Amino acid sequence: MKGRSLLLPTLGTNLSVKIHPVALFSICDGYIRRNEKQDRVIGTLLGVVSEGTVEIKNCYIVPHNESSEQVAVDIAHHRTMFELHQRVAPAETVVGWFATGPALYNSDALIQEFYTKEAPNSVHLLVDTTLSGGKFSIHAFMSRILSVGEKVLSTEFVEMPCEVLFGDAERVGVELLASGGASTKPLTDNESLVTSLKRLEELLDKVQSYVDDVIEGRAKGDPVIGRYLADTLSVVPHFSKPDFERLFNESTQDMMMVTYLSNLLRTQIALADKLGTSQLPIV
Amino acid sequence: MMSSSALKTVQLDGQVILKIMQHCNEALPQLVTGQLLGLDVGGTLEVTDCFAFPASVADEENDDENAGASYQLDMMRCLREVNVDNNTVGWYQSTNLGTFQTMDLIETFVNYHENIKKCVCIVYDPQRSSRGSFALKAIRLKDQFISLFKEQKLTAKDLRDANIAWKDVFQEIPIKIQNSALVQALTAELEPVTAATQGDLDRLNLSVAPFLEKNIESLLDCVDDLVLEQQKVTTYHKNVARQAQQMTTWLQKRKQENQARRAAGEELLPEEDPTQFKPIPELSLLDNYLISNQLSTYCDQLNIACTQSLQKLYIFESLQK
Repeated sequence: MKGRSLLLPTLGTNLSVKIHPVALFSICDGYIRRNEKQDRVIGTLLGVVSEGTVEIKNCYIVPHNESSEQVAVDIAHHRTMFELHQRVAPAETVVGWFATGPALYNSDALIQEFYTKEAPNSVHLLVDTTLSGGKFSIHAFMSRILSVGEKVLSTEFVEMPCEVLFGDAERVGVELLASGGASTKPLTDNESLVTSLKRLEELLDKVQSYVDDVIEGRAKGDPVIGRYLADTLSVVPHFSKPDFERLFNESTQDMMMVTYLSNLLRTQIALADKLGTSQLPIV
Repeated sequence: MMSSSALKTVQLDGQVILKIMQHCNEALPQLVTGQLLGLDVGGTLEVTDCFAFPASVADEENDDENAGASYQLDMMRCLREVNVDNNTVGWYQSTNLGTFQTMDLIETFVNYHENIKKCVCIVYDPQRSSRGSFALKAIRLKDQFISLFKEQKLTAKDLRDANIAWKDVFQEIPIKIQNSALVQALTAELEPVTAATQGDLDRLNLSVAPFLEKNIESLLDCVDDLVLEQQKVTTYHKNVARQAQQMTTWLQKRKQENQARRAAGEELLPEEDPTQFKPIPELSLLDNYLISNQLSTYCDQLNIACTQSLQKLYIFESLQK
């Protein structure tokens, strides 16, 4: 089933798989909600394929039944959900399917065959929700048909490189989720600014102590790091004193003016409300 | 009506937050909506899942209304088969620069309120997120306002009687984020605590001018709208005064005529003629309130952005020395 053979040729295309965290969260949620008798859940993966990369953006659970002899997948459910999702995001297509669990099952080959009919080169994602081995591992496979001449012998799952991809705005979400425990309150703007600044300060301290160590001979200097630091520092714009003061004063004045204006408007509304004169025009 | 059944917090699953963010960000610049599913537990509303509405449902009506309803039914049915909570608890929508106070929102809310007492609307601002802040808010209308709206009693006198100021229309509910243990393991695996994240980079960005410009432009539009509304109210007052004056002149004329007729011994004309002067309906203050709310949101945003950039500027100054 799973294996990399030295004799057989590797996959022709250099495909890699990128997963959005949304899909992973949905898979976890689906796993928690599974029916009592089921060991694992399977479902469809939606996404886009661009040259060399399969990007998995969304997924949904498909009910299925499996026993040691046979496996039944609710295809109608899969089709309906796919149509519904198409109406929201027409660009996303079926790119494969996922299953939870520590290892591949025998029936996976059959399911893979079905999905290959839906989408060529469909990807199989194996998410280990049972946390075996103390790690939350995610593997992506593609299937390859082993055949001798015309006769099809079996399907082999070949592992592909996969990584988790963060969109820009998702970073805020995932950072928040990662920093909290079981339940957190979202940070207000000021608090998050303070946290960012603290992190910046820590970084600067680290860099400074490293440089000090190198100068005093306590640590070996790495020329690559040294060059990188020099480059970074040179990017910091350095103005002459009068220039900088002028810039700084102008910006500060702009900010103060905007704050003043907005407070003025707020006061106007509050006053008008209290006096019942909201019918009078703003002079 | 408020007491024990008041909504104190909204508890969101991490999954819901990511889904909302992904859907709204990908649909930019169009504004989109979606449905929230979950459970109502005491003073907390737990939102455990959500799904998106196709964009066409929001724009067109007529035959697409049926399509929209059937989309919802199909989606709920499919989700029920995989054991997702089948309970609608509200909806989410994306906004532009935080302005969600529209008539549409109020009407949708009242519609939902017919069936679900504790529904909530989650408002997401994708542009604020790109500057590194968490721009999700949970909003609902205050119960008092809902009952007034249903009775359509929104004139100045009624609102003053019920003691509802423009601040009392919307109510923001604190959000709590909840993650199952499995998801926590996942996040620990995915995002080891790094020294600095992209979010930090966004937040420490010194360039705040474009955001301020957009905000101020919208603020100006809003003030224009407010002035228009006030002009409407002034015109109304003028009309009422003018009508009262017309009535008095007409009444005087009638009285004089009647005197002449009495002298001549003819029948007296009625002194009241209700059909001639229809009372002018008093304007509703609802638009006024909505605009005031919008104005205050803009002002708040401006304030926060300015104070933050002031802080950043001062830090930059110290770095220069």
